[in-house]
Amino acid sequence: MTSRSLASTAAAIVLVAALASVPLFASGYHLALGISLLYFTVLATAWAMFSGPTHYISLATAAFFGIGAYTTAVLTDFLPWPVVILAAMVVGILIALVVGLSTLRLSGIYFVIFSFGLAELIRQIVTWYEVNIAGSIGRYIFADTTTEGIYWRLLALAGMVLGAGWLIRHSRLGLAVRVIGQDEMVARHCGIDTTRAKLVLFAVSAAFMTVTGAVMAPRWTYLDPMIAFSPVVSFEVVIMALFGGAGTLFGPLLGVIPLVLLFDVLGAYFPNYFSILLGLVFILIVYALPRGVVGLLQQRLPALRRAALQVKMSAPAETVMRPVWPRAAERMAAGDAPVLQLANVRKSFGGLVAVDDLSFDLKRGEILGLIGPNGSGKTTALNLISGAILPDAGEISLEGRPITLLPAHRIAQRGVARTFQLVRVLGESSCRENVIAGMAFHGPGLWGAAADARADALLARVGLGDKADTPAGQLTYIDQKRLELARALALDPDVLLLDEWLAGLNPSELQVGIALVRMLREEGLTIIIVEHVMDAIRSLCDRCVVMNTGRKIAEGPPSAVLADREVIRAYLGDADD
Amino acid sequence: MTLNRIAAFAALAMTAALCAPAQAQDTLKIGWAISKTGPFAAGAAVTTLPNYQVWVKDVNDAGGINVGGKKMKIEVIEYDDRSNSEDMIKAVERLATQDKVDFILPPWSTGMNLAAAPIFNKLGYPQLAVTANTNRAPEMVKRWPNLTFWLGLPSEIVDGVVETFSKMQKEGKIGKRIAMIAVADQFGIEQSTAARAGLKKAGFELVYDKSYPFGSQDMQPVLKDAQAANPDVLLAFSYPPDTFAITDTAKVINFNPKAMFLGVGTAFPGYKGKFGASAEGIMGIGGSDANLKGIKWYIQHHKEVIGREPDRWASPITYASLQVLQQAIERVGKDRAAVIKEINTGSFETIIGTVKLKDNQNTNIWTVGQWQGNDFFGIAPTNKPGAKAPIPKPEWK
Amino acid sequence: MALTFDIVLSGLVLGGMYALIAMGLTLQYGIARIMNLSYGESLIASAFAAMFLYTGMAVNPVLGLLVIVPLSFAANWLLYQVVLMPLVKRAKNQGMLEVDSILGTFGVLFVIQGVMLVAFGGSLQSYSYLSVPVHILTTTLAANRILALLFALVIGGGIYLILTRTRFGTALRAVAVNPVAAQLSGIDIRAASALAFAGGGAIAAAGGVLISMFLTFSAASGVVFTMKALIVVIMGGVGNMLGALVAGLLLGVSETAVARLVDPGLTIAVTYALFLSVLLWRPTGLFGRPAR
Repeated sequence: MTSRSLASTAAAIVLVAALASVPLFASGYHLALGISLLYFTVLATAWAMFSGPTHYISLATAAFFGIGAYTTAVLTDFLPWPVVILAAMVVGILIALVVGLSTLRLSGIYFVIFSFGLAELIRQIVTWYEVNIAGSIGRYIFADTTTEGIYWRLLALAGMVLGAGWLIRHSRLGLAVRVIGQDEMVARHCGIDTTRAKLVLFAVSAAFMTVTGAVMAPRWTYLDPMIAFSPVVSFEVVIMALFGGAGTLFGPLLGVIPLVLLFDVLGAYFPNYFSILLGLVFILIVYALPRGVVGLLQQRLPALRRAALQVKMSAPAETVMRPVWPRAAERMAAGDAPVLQLANVRKSFGGLVAVDDLSFDLKRGEILGLIGPNGSGKTTALNLISGAILPDAGEISLEGRPITLLPAHRIAQRGVARTFQLVRVLGESSCRENVIAGMAFHGPGLWGAAADARADALLARVGLGDKADTPAGQLTYIDQKRLELARALALDPDVLLLDEWLAGLNPSELQVGIALVRMLREEGLTIIIVEHVMDAIRSLCDRCVVMNTGRKIAEGPPSAVLADREVIRAYLGDADD
Repeated sequence: MTLNRIAAFAALAMTAALCAPAQAQDTLKIGWAISKTGPFAAGAAVTTLPNYQVWVKDVNDAGGINVGGKKMKIEVIEYDDRSNSEDMIKAVERLATQDKVDFILPPWSTGMNLAAAPIFNKLGYPQLAVTANTNRAPEMVKRWPNLTFWLGLPSEIVDGVVETFSKMQKEGKIGKRIAMIAVADQFGIEQSTAARAGLKKAGFELVYDKSYPFGSQDMQPVLKDAQAANPDVLLAFSYPPDTFAITDTAKVINFNPKAMFLGVGTAFPGYKGKFGASAEGIMGIGGSDANLKGIKWYIQHHKEVIGREPDRWASPITYASLQVLQQAIERVGKDRAAVIKEINTGSFETIIGTVKLKDNQNTNIWTVGQWQGNDFFGIAPTNKPGAKAPIPKPEWK
Repeated sequence: MALTFDIVLSGLVLGGMYALIAMGLTLQYGIARIMNLSYGESLIASAFAAMFLYTGMAVNPVLGLLVIVPLSFAANWLLYQVVLMPLVKRAKNQGMLEVDSILGTFGVLFVIQGVMLVAFGGSLQSYSYLSVPVHILTTTLAANRILALLFALVIGGGIYLILTRTRFGTALRAVAVNPVAAQLSGIDIRAASALAFAGGGAIAAAGGVLISMFLTFSAASGVVFTMKALIVVIMGGVGNMLGALVAGLLLGVSETAVARLVDPGLTIAVTYALFLSVLLWRPTGLFGRPAR
């Protein structure tokens, strides 16, 4: 391992030295080509840093690039260039934070167009400012920067963006966004502060884009909003990153190199048919390389595929990233109060009241069955407890402290874990990473070899010991349910919410499953199960709460409530209906 | 596609990108990088590219350029800069260092030419930046002595406008009330700022003064407010699409001040084509002395080769600049330093008359023109030989 | 009062144009689920066709609609069947289809633009048709712009009625809401999507012909229209005809109001500010369904 990393370090040094010496012998044209390659490499890698794992397709690249370029244009006469670049970075980060806070709740195409709109708005505001306040629009940049200087700065920047990408991938922040990208709901229930993760990453990515703009600006002598905020840059960056493969560190690079060369060749040899040929090549690429260059390589080279599945967290990377991604607070000690209390909780969706005035207590170490016919509000109740949705009224408390309005990740960090009615695993991650996701974001968090060992132990416990390296998407439905339980247990919870976890098991699997739940209780967990399997309810539950149309209609030991006339009517329906 | 084929394709692309043909020449290699796609394509297609094509054809039809007693035909190498500064710089570098062309013709627009200036200078090529129009030209030519400007300073256009309006006002053709609108980009803002000062000094009153965003083609709100201010003159520093929209809208809402100056775009052949008799009396940037023999020939010739008439501002000057380049090469040969010196100091006969640069800037220019009958005549500077007298704008037809 | 009336009426006319160009896209994206980046190019292609028919063959653009719109419907249907269908078949989920269709239609964009460049050159095009004043009480408007507004209202209203009142429309809406369930209830979603995409293309063509009467355009101006259309579509709520209409008109009126009352320099900034605030207030647009 050491000799291998030594060799790769040596190779990297040689490569960097070779690239750095390019200006010493290359012609002006080749240097210009190198600059194009480098600046798109930085932009596309920075873009993929945020948009790759989160799948938020951002068209705001031009906005940050332009802000950086303008910062240089405005400041270059007064300040030395390192300060100018630092200033650009700070401005970029600030704008990214403001924008991120307001926009990251949008999803899908709404975010795409919003980010584009943002770039245009910033351009219009800069224009308006220049017209009305500065009194002239174009700005001239007479910096004493040579082409070589720009090349070297971009090369350094490319090294930094790849380095930052590596650090992020191998720290908990990287794990967090991989989880978020696959299933944001799961991420929140693993204790991941999703807003913070997205925001931090958006800002880091924006910082690189802004600095790229600041470095490039002196090359053009003259700058106006049309040049600085050209939306074409945003589109080209997206295309390059997606073409290469936005999900991996070097994917964007694999898109940048062929496409920049292609643009150049087409523009040079077919200046009159550039558009048509480019369009045809794009269409061909979409058909021939559905998962980008990286996808093609992974398909051909299984080793690469395996490597992509096994991103290991590294302790040094974690240490470097700590300032932007701190650990969660320690959990509170258990008191005498009921573990969990619901008091008069109510939730409605539009006109439909899903949970109506629901109250019950959960005693330490018991298994509570939450039962009722379909649509009676059981899953909604679990969602309210886990923080997936917020109640309209009422109070929920954990260990005697209110958690009513806490976000899901805080509730998860305080020791409430759950499984989902419709199973939710991270299909593109290995089973081990699925479990580690549950382990890394509460209390001190675990990573490295210790995390691997504990994850493997949990997988063995649910019967998936031999599947640690398998992508979760390839598991059978039942195995996915097992994996989900392992992930929930990885949170080291005090309260476990199981939503129809036993449904769909065959009789022998059911017996194993029931034994497992019982053993968990004996280890000190407090459990709520939502179930339709009556055998399981009878044999597991200490107490049942029966719901119908959102209300609690009965409460007591299973044998008593299951004999209750109202409960029977609720299940079987009124005879008159 | 298999991996191998992709690798082969990549290798091909690399080879094509990195190796350029190098061959002995008995032709004169001339290259240009210009916007054939993207937002600048429209401008380049009106003013610059057709003139390059006409000129190359003219030279080659005549047997070539006389270089040291030997007639050399022109071989063209052309790149598309996709309206992107970075691609333009790269293409210029490529022309110089890979294709080793003898001369490079400039790109289109002020921004592109300024972005190209350091590269042209470093490589030692003359840059006849016809479509660059900036008030900082005098300062730039000191920095880059190979750079020449051809359209005059933007401030001279404003001087021409003020001069024309003052003259008309003194003759009692118009009053003192002026409505001014400008597109919110460098051109519009620089011009309107200068005009504001100049008009005030000449005793005019600005009754409406607003800018509108670049790309806007909805002129009704602006023009209605301008009309409500009841001006004698509408002065618009606008781009071609907006110039067309302003004319169209003014006609629809029957806004007919006694003088109307619009442009860029008024000098386009398409303008007269679209508005016909309604174009009568409308003023704009540029103009030409349509009675000059060279101009007559040029307009006819351009129409024969390209299929439409040239615009009457930068087009004749572009062609004239190429004639200057040609004559300079014929006088001193292919040595680029000598050609630069000759362009800066020599005197040349062209379609627009005699051209002699002063501080790297062409002074043989029309700043204001007006549609009178079928041609766009130069009316300012008023003391320039061939200047027509401005007429008040008639009713819309 | 006269000023208010003037602002509202001019704004509605401008907004009618926005709505007109947006409605085709909302059909294509909302129902066929294709994020069509080449939308503006097909619009400009129709503008070129209208100009060619008018200046070259003296066919007036309103009659030209009768030729261009059906042609465009057929061309877009083919585009969907030939170019996009393989991507639709391949996509495992909406996210994949979104990425693929962005990349694929980005290619189509360049092809259409390149063909127009070769055929018509890069310069600006403009002609005059129906550029005559129409006096409505105290205000004056251009007839061609009013025509565009009327078309927007007719198309918007017509398609809204088709979508809500007919069996076919109900099927289309089912496809938009939940393609899987729609398929289960016996709707051929691919055929329905192809028709929706083609219908969107036909509306784009109508928009292209109508705006060519009063806007200056060039082979490169397609992206401007795609973006304007996207903003209107997103603001109104994806797939919602009335949303597109209302959002378009709202944008038109507010742009005109800002130009007249505040500063014409801020009109485009206002567009984006309005767009961004609508999204912040309602993350899925004015009439959008809550996401998932």
